[in-house]
Amino acid sequence: MNHPPQPLLEASDICIAYGGHQVVHDVSLAVAPGEVISLIGPSGAGKSSFLRSINWLEPPCSGTLTFDGSTFRGLRDGGVSKRQLQGLRRSIGMVFQQFNLFPHLSALENVVLAQVHALGRSKAEARERALQELHHVGLGEVTDKLPSKCSGGQQQRIAIARALALDPQVMLFDEPTSALDPEYAMDVLVTMRRLADEGMTMLVVTHEMHFAAEVADRVVFMAEGRVVEEGPAAALIRDPQHERTQKFLAAVKGR
Amino acid sequence: MSTWIELFPDLLPGLWVTIKLTLLALGLGLPCGVVLAGLSAAPSRWVRWPVIVVVEIGRGVPGLIVLYLVYRGLPQVDVVLSAFLSAGVGLAFSTAAYTAEIIRAGIAAVPVGHREAARALSLSPLQEFRLVVLPQALRTVIAPLVGFSIILYQGTSLAYAISVPELLSRAYNAASITFQFGAALTLAGAMYAVVSLTATALAGARSRERVL
Ligand SMILES: Nc1ncnc2c1ncn2[C@@H]1O[C@H](COP(=O)(O)OP(=O)(O)O)[C@@H](O)[C@H]1O
Ligand SMILES: [Mg+2]
Repeated sequence: MNHPPQPLLEASDICIAYGGHQVVHDVSLAVAPGEVISLIGPSGAGKSSFLRSINWLEPPCSGTLTFDGSTFRGLRDGGVSKRQLQGLRRSIGMVFQQFNLFPHLSALENVVLAQVHALGRSKAEARERALQELHHVGLGEVTDKLPSKCSGGQQQRIAIARALALDPQVMLFDEPTSALDPEYAMDVLVTMRRLADEGMTMLVVTHEMHFAAEVADRVVFMAEGRVVEEGPAAALIRDPQHERTQKFLAAVKGR
Repeated sequence: MSTWIELFPDLLPGLWVTIKLTLLALGLGLPCGVVLAGLSAAPSRWVRWPVIVVVEIGRGVPGLIVLYLVYRGLPQVDVVLSAFLSAGVGLAFSTAAYTAEIIRAGIAAVPVGHREAARALSLSPLQEFRLVVLPQALRTVIAPLVGFSIILYQGTSLAYAISVPELLSRAYNAASITFQFGAALTLAGAMYAVVSLTATALAGARSRERVL
């Protein structure tokens, strides 16, 4: 492509603070439709905080987010209304490290719940769609099980199906495989790779360098609350320019 | 043994009053407890603080003082309730305070990640509470609520002090006629215990069912 497409999502100068202590400093990132971006960096770098600011789970103290023609301002610059917030979250799916399935509901009910209560779909329609999404992530057989009866890999794929059932335009993943045994992690990574191939716009915080190199279009390396280096995925991971990135990648690859 | 059999018909109406008093206190107090628990997590401290103060007063003041305040104190501001209603209202106040604390703890025990997942799925704050937090909290509070109800059931004997004809006062009155205090009080104690233990056993069976 000669002309970079209009970004679907643009974060500008995002700052995040906890109790007056700032942990993310002026991070900006533009995401094109269909783009897959991996956020990597040492623990405590602010990757989760930044990712969580994109669906306002962690409201930024300053900076703006532009998404789908709407602008969302950080707390100091006016904040956002409840209506704006629900619109934003309706269009952005999120997958957590700890799955966070609702333990009192079956796999199917987990996927049905927000379709009915947030989107207003009928129960029958939501059920139909939930079955479809569960089949799509390879879980046609666990629909009636409680999450506690499913393996970690199955739980994480249920969580992915739950988010996808709302037809998000962007999916956020926060270390989706870090809590999983390697064999189960593979199932989840395969599902994510397929999602990427289908054209989903994705932001993925991960320590899986193979995934980042092979699936992501672009890699962003963060440390101490700032973006240190970013670039095309394969090139950045093979040949990092910044010393801080080199050290981090050497340590991760050495493991 | 024969004395117990003779006393039993005298005490039985008292048991009925005791059970009614317990149900009244729970029926009035528990819904208030749920509301107080919800309000004690309100974002505004102008809501939160008064609620916390009411709950702490309810838990801190002895039940007997509350009963006397309702029975003797309220008439001074022209609110006159029967002895039975006074006992019910007084015990309901304590019930609201104690159950609010139990339910508040149950709500706090719901992992914050589940709330975040609800928010990320664009559920509203009320939906988040009703569909995700409350159903989980209710599971963890059932056992402590049953425990509290049994203590409340025994605590209704305080109503004796304001002459409600409940189980203890029935036993005491029966004994003051025949002077068989030992027999009357042990029988009353046994009647309290049988109901308490049955309730405990039923609750245990129910909660095992839920786990399976
Ligand atoms: N809820 C929180 N309250 C206080 N400090 C937090 C909270 N969440 C994260 N932090 C701090 O913010 C910094 C960045 O954390 P995080 O965004 O989780 O980094 P990463 O995901 O890269 O490991 C860390 O120093 C962390 O201790
Ligand atoms: Mg993190």
